[in-house]
Order: sequence, then structure tokens, then C-alpha cells
Amino acid sequence: MSYSSVRKTRTSRPRDCHGLQETSSPPPSDDTIVALITPPGEGGVAAVRLAGARSLTLLNRHFKPHRGRAVRPQPFLMRHGWFTDADGSAIDEVLAVYMPAGSSYTGQEQVEIFCHGGDQSVRLIIDALIHSGAHAAQPGEFTRLAFLSGRIDLSQAEAVAAIIAANTNNSHTAAREQLLGGYSEHIGTLREHLVDVMAEIEASIDYPEEEIPTAERKALLKGMSELIGEVKDLADTYRGGRIIRDGFKVAIAGRPNAGKSSLFNLLLRQQRALVTPQPGTTRDYLSEWIDLYGYAVNIIDTAGLRTKGGHVEKIGQDAAMRVISTCDLIVWMVDISRKRWEHELGRDMKWLAERRNILVGNKIDLTPGLARKRARIAAGRFNLVPVSCLTGRGVKRFKDELSAAIRQNLPDLTSGVIVTEARHRQKLKLALGHLRKARTNIRLGESPELTAFDLRIAVNALDELTGRVYTEDILDKIFSRFCIGK
Amino acid sequence: MIGLVRNRDFDILVVGGGHAGVEAALASARMGRKAAIVTMDADKLALMSCNPAIGGIGKSQLVKEIDALGGLMAEAADATGIQFRRLNLSRGPAVWSTRAQADRIAYTRFVVDYVSRHRRVDVIEAEATRILTERGHVAGVELDSGEVILAPAVIVASGTFLGGLIHIGQKKIKAGRMGEKAACRLSDSLRELGFEVGRLKTGTPPRLDGDSIDWSLCARQPGEEPPPFFSARSPRRSLKQATCHLTYTTDETKAIVTANFTRSPIFSGQINSRGPRYCPSIETKFHRFVDKERHQIFLEPEGAGTSEIYPNGFSTALPEDLQWEAIRTVVGLERARITKPGYAIEYDFCPAYQIKPSLVTRRLPGLFFAGQINGTSGYEEAAAQGLIAGVNAALQIADEPPLVFDRSEAYIGVMVDDLCTRSTTEPYRMFTSRAEYRLSLREDNARDRLNDYARKYGLVPAEECAEFARLRERTEAAVAHFASTRIRIAELGELGRRFKRHTTVSLANLLKQPNISLDMALPLLARFDGGFSDDRQVVERAAIIIRYSGYVDKQQREIDKFKKMERVRIPDDLDYDSLTGLKKEAIEKLAQYRPGSLGQAGRIEGVTPGDVAVLSVHLRKRGVAFP
Ligand SMILES: Nc1nc2c(ncn2[C@@H]2O[C@H](COP(=O)(O)OP(=O)(O)OP(=O)(O)O)[C@@H](O)[C@H]2O)c(=O)[nH]1
Ligand SMILES: [Mg+2]
Repeated sequence: MSYSSVRKTRTSRPRDCHGLQETSSPPPSDDTIVALITPPGEGGVAAVRLAGARSLTLLNRHFKPHRGRAVRPQPFLMRHGWFTDADGSAIDEVLAVYMPAGSSYTGQEQVEIFCHGGDQSVRLIIDALIHSGAHAAQPGEFTRLAFLSGRIDLSQAEAVAAIIAANTNNSHTAAREQLLGGYSEHIGTLREHLVDVMAEIEASIDYPEEEIPTAERKALLKGMSELIGEVKDLADTYRGGRIIRDGFKVAIAGRPNAGKSSLFNLLLRQQRALVTPQPGTTRDYLSEWIDLYGYAVNIIDTAGLRTKGGHVEKIGQDAAMRVISTCDLIVWMVDISRKRWEHELGRDMKWLAERRNILVGNKIDLTPGLARKRARIAAGRFNLVPVSCLTGRGVKRFKDELSAAIRQNLPDLTSGVIVTEARHRQKLKLALGHLRKARTNIRLGESPELTAFDLRIAVNALDELTGRVYTEDILDKIFSRFCIGK
Repeated sequence: MIGLVRNRDFDILVVGGGHAGVEAALASARMGRKAAIVTMDADKLALMSCNPAIGGIGKSQLVKEIDALGGLMAEAADATGIQFRRLNLSRGPAVWSTRAQADRIAYTRFVVDYVSRHRRVDVIEAEATRILTERGHVAGVELDSGEVILAPAVIVASGTFLGGLIHIGQKKIKAGRMGEKAACRLSDSLRELGFEVGRLKTGTPPRLDGDSIDWSLCARQPGEEPPPFFSARSPRRSLKQATCHLTYTTDETKAIVTANFTRSPIFSGQINSRGPRYCPSIETKFHRFVDKERHQIFLEPEGAGTSEIYPNGFSTALPEDLQWEAIRTVVGLERARITKPGYAIEYDFCPAYQIKPSLVTRRLPGLFFAGQINGTSGYEEAAAQGLIAGVNAALQIADEPPLVFDRSEAYIGVMVDDLCTRSTTEPYRMFTSRAEYRLSLREDNARDRLNDYARKYGLVPAEECAEFARLRERTEAAVAHFASTRIRIAELGELGRRFKRHTTVSLANLLKQPNISLDMALPLLARFDGGFSDDRQVVERAAIIIRYSGYVDKQQREIDKFKKMERVRIPDDLDYDSLTGLKKEAIEKLAQYRPGSLGQAGRIEGVTPGDVAVLSVHLRKRGVAFP
């Protein structure tokens, strides 16, 4: 979900990613930043957040309490009144709350204003605040402040980003687990074990008189193997974690004119994709989200695949192949009213069989009588789901099959901690590689300083993951990924 | 020149003639400065007040670095050592550690001779009682005679003499070492100048008469042949090496010590300061490791001309009668006679947040601290700091930027960085595990790492540098030769079994195999070495480089990451109080330690990555360069 449309209209002046290069501007924490923190567009209520030393001052300037209720701003007290522009004319009826520095999400003085939903009122409020000296928040800036004030660690900061991006209930759970620190804690425990092993190896180097007896070496190896198992399990949750974070990615693919776009539109319940009798209608691919029994599913309509076709179509086909290779499931559509469809499908199955797929036989309305019977037998052979996008027949069954396939491939959320960030997986893999190397070295009786070397890198990898060690690039990477508003 | 000092026109005054003081004076003298050592006893320069050994794990790396920077310690140990060996030989070369058993008397005599022959170093036999200042800069020292010596730089390297207090049982003796006067007035002078002074403790075992020991009951530990000398500068002398012995405490030892904890000042409350965890007294060992039934005791000769023995591992502050009783329960020591009792000693130190990495004090420009005053223990740690303080005192006088090593360059850099980022809760001793870039910081490459500095500052004669450059070239040639020379598996005999699927293997590949130690590989290399065999040093250096090459490359990437953060410099006068977003604890720590770089800031205890992030934001804003 992107807030960029809101942001563009609010940014008063161009700034670099962190707004820090201008030596003349006050430090960022003296800056007071503002942004919409609820999704843009129509909605009942929208929330605007101010953070920074001048938050309350700005609120006081623009907030007129309702007559007879001129309560002084108190921490965490919700006040009712009017938001006015600089001239004092009312913009919207709002609720406003103030949080003092140290007890807010960002750690900074903070104000939240709840106004009526809809772009108009939000735009006017933010414009008025910017006019009075607030700066439009950069992506991730609120979270960055929270991180800088020591309120959250790195993996928690990433979790906030994930929560913002989460479309469904399930992704919320994984992100919240990470936010609550369960994730950091889990890695903290792994790290502790690792440091124990390291201490033993180091002791054998710095106190060589104290030889490690063979029995202890066995115990050490066992400990290492457990550790490797745990890190691997954690790293392996990534595929599921990615699905939870990014949603399940389904590509609708098939030969031209099979009815892919028709199915796409049916799932979306709107005429999103162009449908014509002309083969090769869809060129670029279309990507949309649907909610399937509580799971966010990313449905992608692709260009029909065939050998002939013009240049533009060819480019579309290449794009389709790329999408297909990164998706979690392929819905392969076959026009079973075509004479040679069995022959064609037989050929397509050669590469399809290696991927997770659901085969759909479309246009069953065009195969009456005997032909239908024959088609049904053939469909059974290929395990096709027979549908008609025209009449809607079989679509319900298809949806059930689709959701069953998704459920089968989802990670077990009850098992605890899940890796949802590519950066985390990469660090865990790095740690894993070095842990394996270390174990091999211990097993071979290789010199302990080499084992220690690998263990140290593994510990560093975990530390970079939780932000226990600070490196500039990690921060830059993470904060640049954030959506605005959190 | 010892004794009567006529010329008092010194550049650098060194207070204390221990291992730090001597290296400090010599280093500044090598840089063309005139130095004087102020010490209470001119005949006791670089005395080994505790065990008669130089080097050991983590420490030998320091000795090699001192040597590479022109220091004296390695040469003195080589000239007066009576037994040499390398520890950790069964491990990799990065942790090989040379250790020499030195002749205590000969060592000091060697240093006294050397110093007395040096025309730019004088020794003034006196007690320094006060640090003199002038307009916020150090100006010299006052002696107990009331005499004043002026100098633009003063290095305090006072060892355990500052407020030294010896404990033997309930007995307390004010002394810097047994039988030597403590320096209490200098401590007061430092306090008056505003320095925070803390208290540390260390200890030493009783000395034994070797003729009273039953050697047949102890395991022999002979020296290594040929003796592995420390310094490339040292002449290869022939030497009949002395033998060390290994023995153990018994159940009775445990019983006696355990029954008398209360009679040791360490547990009676008489001593409150912290001693080193890594070198505990025998009382502490039995107290802390209740499950351990016996402890190792190394019996080390104190010298060639004496039968006195140093029982390493039996440091104690028990009353003398109990020392006799307890030592006689150790295997082989049943009839041992104590020649000098063991003791614990408490002394003053100045917590090292008060110095910069150049070892100059923050409070008083021109005043440097080196050695135990900074909370370290050990001759090697002291000597290394002395050398750095000496160099930096000389550089300061010349108004040049100081010499500071980072953690990836030298153990010295690791030590100084540790001192400048951590509070001292026990005397600091070097370990190889303190060096995160250990695979790159080895004994064998100390000169490769430091020779350029030595040449730049004139610490090592030019011809020696040139000779080393040739050694380097030949090493490179040997590395290339080993990489390109293949031998047939059939010729490898037993070793060849692991290369089943090949018919030939390169010598380099052979060297990289786990389980093939250099010792196993060296005879092979000698057979195929293409003319390098006459120079074992070259072969060994090349073999080590090859053995570690993959790891060192990977380590280099870690070092690059580390350097990136080190290069973000923090102005020394940064007003941390004015930085919004920093936690209070972080502000206090940062203002106290005043890190020189963003990387260093992150290593200060109590400073979180979040704090470093805030700091980094502020630095960017101030236009500090981020590489
Ligand atoms: N009779 C019948 N016609 C269908 C059905 N599904 C789709 N069509 C028709 O088939 C034609 C192609 O449909 P599309 O959905 O555009 O097919 P497509 O696979 O997206 O085609 P390309 O994008 O060109 O590859 C259109 O004329 C549709 O109306 C069906 O179930 N029955
Ligand atoms: Mg289409």
C-alpha cells in the first residue's frame, strides 16, 4: 500500500532521504514532522500525527476547543474541537490528543489529530501544519525516531513496517510477534548459545593447559548441531514468512485467448482487465489483491504464452515468464473448446509439472453433448477444474481448490517466530554457513582459531540482524523501505 | 649516564624505570629526544617483580610488535632467556605464542647496561613527588629532594608503586615492591590535579629454594630446540636450556587453604580492590572453583645462577606460616623451603577514560600515562604502552599528530582501544581472544604490519628496514612458487590418502588442508621448495600466509566494515549534552570516554546501537565526512 500520492502534495521542499544533509536546518529531533497515519482515501476517520519538540505548540496554534470545554491540553486526554488554518477559520471538526516526550511511540513529543476521512480535509490540515513550520515526514521517519529514542530495536522497527504493509489478519500476527520483541528474544537465545560455544573454544586457545577432553568435544559438537538446526529452522520459516508478509502470489497463465483475463475479472468482481475475442489481448501483466478466506492473495493476469506473435506481445510473454517463475502458484488455463487442447496441454505439462499448479479447463459452455462428455474424461485425466467464465459455472469449486492449495502452502503460525524479511533470511543464511564450517572444523580437529573465526562471523550476523551492532548501511536500508506514516 | 646528572635539559621525563618506563625513554630517544628516567633505584631498571618470564599467549604478540617498533623487550629476553618455547604449537600459527623463561638478574643487568650506553637517556635516582604544571600544561616533576626538573612532556609509568600496599596475612607494608618504598606523594599530586584514582590488586607467589624440591615427582617441561627467539635482531646464540616442571596441589592443599580463608586479607575484608580473574590467588582458586580438586603449579627457575624457583599458580596473601604449611602439601614440595613469602599488593591506578589513545591525559596536556597506572598488568602490556607513550610524547613536542594503531593493525591497538572504551574492573591482561582480527595479527607478521610505522618514525635503523623489505620479497616469491608447484600424490605417502581422486596437488593446496600442520608440511616443502629451503624463515612465513589466505581474505572484509566506522571521526570537543535524542546514560558515557570515532563510540559499554545511530545523525548534520 502506498501513501505516495498524499506525500507528494505535502512535501514543502525537496529533501534527501533523511533530511540531514542540510547543515543549516535544525537537527531532526528538533524538527516537527507530520503525516497521515491512516490509509488515504475515503474512510470514516483519518488520523494525522505530529512528532517533535513543537508538536504541542503547533496543535495549540491550530486547535480551538469547543466552546465551554476549554480544557487545557493534558497528556493522553482526548479533546474535542475545531482545527483551524492560520487565519483562524475552521477546517474540520476534530479530536486531538497530546503525548509528552518519552511516553509516545516515537519517544518525541507527539500529537495525534483525528479528523473526518477523505482527502480534502486531511490535505488542508497537513498543509496548515506545514505552513506553520512542520515538515512532511519521510518514509519510515516516525519509526526511525522510535528506533533512535531507543524505544525499539531494529527487528522491531522492521516489524512496524510489516504491520503497516500487512493486508490481512495473519500477516498482522507475524509482524506483531516481531514487534513485541519475541523475535529479538528468540535470536537473543540463539546468540547466547553461540557465545557459550565460542567461550569454550576461546578458552582452549588462551588457556591451552586446559585441554578440551574428547567427551566435551562431543558435547560441543552436539551443541553446535542443535544450534545449526535452530538457525536453519528459523531461516526456513522465511518462505512462509514472505508469503505472510507479501501475500500469496498466484499467476493466471495459459495460451492466448484461453480466458485468463475473464477469470481474473471474475475473481476481482470487476472488469479490471480487457477481454476481447482477439488472442494476444493482454500484453503487460496486471496485479491485484483479493481476500480469500482471510488470506491476502496477489492475483496476476499474464499475457498468453505461444510461439507466434508480434514484438510487443513477445515482450509481454517474457514478463509473463518472469512473473510465473517468482509466484507461489500457477493457475494454468486451457480452452477446452479447442480441438487440439489435449495435445497442447500435454506439451505444456513438460515444464508445468515442476511447479505448483492448478489446471483449469475453461469454456465448458462451448462443449455440448458428446463433446462435453469426452472433454470431461480428458479433464479427469489431467485433473482439470472445469469452469465457464461466461456462465460462472465451476468458479466456486475453483476458488475452493485455490484456497485449499494456499492453505497447504502456508507456514504454521502457531509454531512461534517467523522470518519475514529478506535481510533477516540473508543474515541467518550467512550465520548458518559459518556455523556449518565451524562444526566441520571441530569435527576434523582443525585448529580452534579457525573455528573461532567462523563463530565470530556468525555472532556478528545475528547481531546485525537485531541491531545489536550498529552499521550505517543497515539503517539506511531499513528506513528507506518504510511506508510513510509510522 | 647514571648517578650524577649534569645536563637537566630534557625533552621527556619518565617517572618509573619499569618495563613501561624503559621503553618510553628509549623510544623517545630513538626519535631524537633527550629523555630521563626518574626511578628510586637505578640498578633495578625493568625488574621482573613477578614471574621471571616474557611472552606467553597474547603477550608474545605484543613483544613481537614492540620489537617491530624498535623496542628493547624482545632483545633483552633473547639475550638473557634460559628457556624458550612456543605455546599453542598444536594450534594454528595465529595463536602460536613464544614464551621465554628469563634470568631475572641478567635481564635487569642487560637493560641497565643498554640504557647506560644510550647517550640520549639519563637515569635520575630519586623519587618523583609532584607533577608540575604551567598554564594548563605539564611543566616537569619535583623530586623528593625538593629539586625541580623541567620538561615539556612527562610520562608516568609508576607500576605498583603508586600508593603501593603489600599484604601478607594481617601484616600490611607500604611498599612498591617487596623491600622498596611506595610512592604515595605522587598519587596525592595526581589527585590534586583532579585525576580520579582507583585501586587495584595483584599478587605474587612465594619463592622457593630449588634444592629443597623433589624434582623426581614433577613432570619435566623442556625448552624447544632450536630456541625460538623473539627478535630478528638478536644474534642466534647457543644455549643450554633450563627445564621447567609441572606439579599439582593435593587434597591437603585444598583442606588447608579452605580452612583458612578468613586468614587471607583477600577474604577477610582487608583488601577490597579487585584482582585479576585470570591470575587468581590460590585462595581464590579454591574458593571459586569448589569442584576442582587440584590445580596446576608450574615450577619455573628464576635464573641460571640461582636455585630460586617461582611456583607459578600459587600466588597467595596467606600469613607466612600458612604459606609454609600449604606449599608443602604440593606434590614434590613436601620439604620445600620458602625464600621469600608471597604477597598481595594493592596500588593506585587512574581509570583509563582519562587518557586518549595516544596515552596523553585529557586533563593535562603533555602528561602521559603508561603501564599499570592505566589499569593493565603484565610486563608486555606495560612495555607496549611505554613505547607508544614515548613515541607520542616525542611527536607532541614536534607538534605532530600522534601514533595510534587501530584494532585491525596491532594487539597494541586492541589494548589501547579497550582501555579507552571500557571501565577497568580488574587488571587488564592481553588475550588473543581480545583481538577480533586475530588471524591477521600474528607473531610472524608483526613486522609486516608495523615496519612502515617504524621506518616513518625512525624507530628502526634504515638498513634493518631494507633487510626486511628483502625478506618480504623472498616471502612473496615463495608464496608464488608454492602455488604453482604441483607434486604427485604418490610421493606424499600417508598424507596422499586424502587426495584419492587426484594425481597431483599443489603445495599450496596441501598446506591448506586441515590436519596437516606446518610441522608435517615443512619437510615436504623442503623437498620441493625450489631453492628456498636454506631459509626456513621464508618457507615458514610463506606457508603461514598460504594456510590462512582464504580466512584472511574474509577477515579483510570484516576489517573493511570496521574501518568504515573508524573513519567517521568525532570532534574531541563535541558537546554531548546538546545532542537531542541521546539517552542520559549514553551522554554520560560518551562525555566521559570521548570516543575518537563512530566505531569507537559503539564499543563503549552502555552505549547502544540506537545511541550510535543518533550520534551518526548529528555528525552528518555537522558535516562530518562519512566515507
Ligand atoms: N464461451 C465462452 N467464452 C469465453 C469464456 N471465457 C472467456 N471467453 C471469451 O474468450 C475470449 C478471450 O477471453 P480473454 O479473457 O480475453 O482471454 P485471455 O486468455 O485473457 O486472452 P489473451 O490475453 O489474449 O491471452 C473473449 O472473447 C471471452 O469473452 C467462457 O467460459 N465461455
Ligand atoms: Mg487477457
